[in-house]
Amino acid sequence: MAKEYTLRMGDGKRIFLTKERILEEIEAGTADAADLGAIAALSGDQMDKLAEILMMPGKTVSVEQGMEVPVTHDIGTLRLDGDQGNSGVGIPSSRLVGCMMHERAFGADTMELGHIDYSFKPVKPVVANECQAMEVCQQNMIVPMFYGAMPNMGLYYTPDGPFENPGDLMKAFKIQEAWDSMEHAAEHLTRDTVWVMQKLMACGTDGVNFDTIGAAGDGDFYGTLNAIEALRKTYPNMYIEAGMAGECVLGMHGELKYDGKTLAGLWPHEQAPLVEKAGANVFGPVCNTNTSKTSAWNLARSVTFMKAAVEAANIPCHVDMGMGVGGIPMLETPPIDAVTRASKAMVEIAGVDGI
Amino acid sequence: MGMPISHIMASGMTGIRAAGDLVARMEFSKNMRIGEAKEYVAKKLGVGTMDLSDEHVMRELREELDIGVITSVPGAAKGIAAKMNIEKLLDIEINCCDTFRKQIQ
Amino acid sequence: MANKEELFKELSDAIISCKKDNVLAAVEKAKDELDPSEIIENGLAVGMNQVGILFERGKLFLPHVMMAADAMNAGVESLKELMPEGEGDSKMGIIVNGTVEGDVHDIGKSIVSTMLQSAGFEVYDIGRDVPIRNFIEKAKEVGANMIGLSALMTTTLPGQKEVIELLKEEGMRDSIKVMIGGAPATTAWAEKIGADCYAENASEAVAKAKELLL
Repeated sequence: MAKEYTLRMGDGKRIFLTKERILEEIEAGTADAADLGAIAALSGDQMDKLAEILMMPGKTVSVEQGMEVPVTHDIGTLRLDGDQGNSGVGIPSSRLVGCMMHERAFGADTMELGHIDYSFKPVKPVVANECQAMEVCQQNMIVPMFYGAMPNMGLYYTPDGPFENPGDLMKAFKIQEAWDSMEHAAEHLTRDTVWVMQKLMACGTDGVNFDTIGAAGDGDFYGTLNAIEALRKTYPNMYIEAGMAGECVLGMHGELKYDGKTLAGLWPHEQAPLVEKAGANVFGPVCNTNTSKTSAWNLARSVTFMKAAVEAANIPCHVDMGMGVGGIPMLETPPIDAVTRASKAMVEIAGVDGI
Repeated sequence: MGMPISHIMASGMTGIRAAGDLVARMEFSKNMRIGEAKEYVAKKLGVGTMDLSDEHVMRELREELDIGVITSVPGAAKGIAAKMNIEKLLDIEINCCDTFRKQIQ
Repeated sequence: MANKEELFKELSDAIISCKKDNVLAAVEKAKDELDPSEIIENGLAVGMNQVGILFERGKLFLPHVMMAADAMNAGVESLKELMPEGEGDSKMGIIVNGTVEGDVHDIGKSIVSTMLQSAGFEVYDIGRDVPIRNFIEKAKEVGANMIGLSALMTTTLPGQKEVIELLKEEGMRDSIKVMIGGAPATTAWAEKIGADCYAENASEAVAKAKELLL
């Protein structure tokens, strides 16, 4: 009987596959990405290398010495102090303590401060509190320290915001009204984001990390690109990281353009030039994990998309590799064997500049 | 917590334990890709790029350059003081250092 | 005279163009050659299915899907007088869809509702942050064949299980299928809580609803 290797499903469940089957899964995964994005599939050598990484016997694997890359962080300190029943481990600690633990206990290359709600809009009424926390962090820390939040344009629609829900309008075939609503929401998103970051820049933040751009579709991406452009114009030295929500920009509006390019339906390699044009320093491309597929399929697909994004960008690409993205299983406690294999593959095959 | 620590152990430069913060600063302040950023920092530090993730090399060097070390060393530059030394070393401007300078004028 | 296959393709292409005028013209042309049921099933519905695929591939967007659905409705409406009484009104199934209590995420769930509606299901989207009991009440009110449950957070995922438990308590579980979705949901979770299926995305939701209800 052929030797079987321990891999994972996209939901984290352990599975056993032969080398032949692993290679089949890799081939199918890379072909799927190549087909969707109209990009190059992995070469034979790259597929072999990926299979080799997946079949390594150790529980954890790592990049070859000298190939290390900066690892940046999102969700602020919520993974430490968060106790909402999610992936936070509920350690009662201040945000300063959380940030310093990332720097000094975990060896993080950069860190960020984030609000418990982690969206720009709810930061507005408590921005002074955020500024104060940022000042204290900057006084005590050495690694680059960002302010991070999600654009989360959904918060501008009823019942959370002033504009009618475009999803409801669409279902009632009120297309023009839905378009108007999204365009107004995008304007507000840009305005709020710029306002919040002006305050934080005055208090010494190194910059901003936009997390999950496009979660509310192309309007969300549009509003954020305009915010990046406005911030870059005002602050030439600000650090701006633009991390996406999903692999393909969801076409809620369908007609919005940036730099003459329709935003809906863009894949990571097509998003990168626009993020760069807007003025970001670092792009965070995403590839979603399919929970019904194997880690070999998911990782091959993800590496294929990320490799194309890295090649299309002139700025560094820090691939998003959290729960359920970048070939990482969709599980709050992602198996370390899967995380480290995905990490190694992204650096050594996709050639990412950071994670 | 398994996620960030796993990534750091698998692929990270381990921040101020070695030279991860410095390489990250060059990516963010000058849009340098990973190779260029490592070359730049290594040149400024007078070491090879392999040394940037080497705790043995970087521990002594960080202390010598007074750019902040991961353990608690009495008298060593910390926070903004360390970052002011990083500004000079890497020839970049850091926002909080600027803000601090404006406050003490 | 165009052959059947050409007419089916014209109908399907008209739907993919997302233009009502094109669909009405294609239906008008096909009327003399094809039965209304053939026009709908082998022409218009095939086009709608293709629209769903193009949406998932990022080639068509939500407004286009809605325009295509609107055009399809108009096409079906124009055939009603040729169909036996009641036939044009028959739906593929009745689905109550919503995001469970405590979860304010709306967009993904709305897209699933839209795609199900476009595929010919009668859909009642009861919104987001929906109290568990409201799913049951609405299902009773409209005689639903299926309930769709969305959750975008690991913290709200248990709400999907609670709806299934309540369906059992009410003696309704055997007559209503349950589909779950949302980022933290998985096939394993669906099996664990006794849902009938998990759908990864909107087009899979349509495919699985068809599998379970048709």
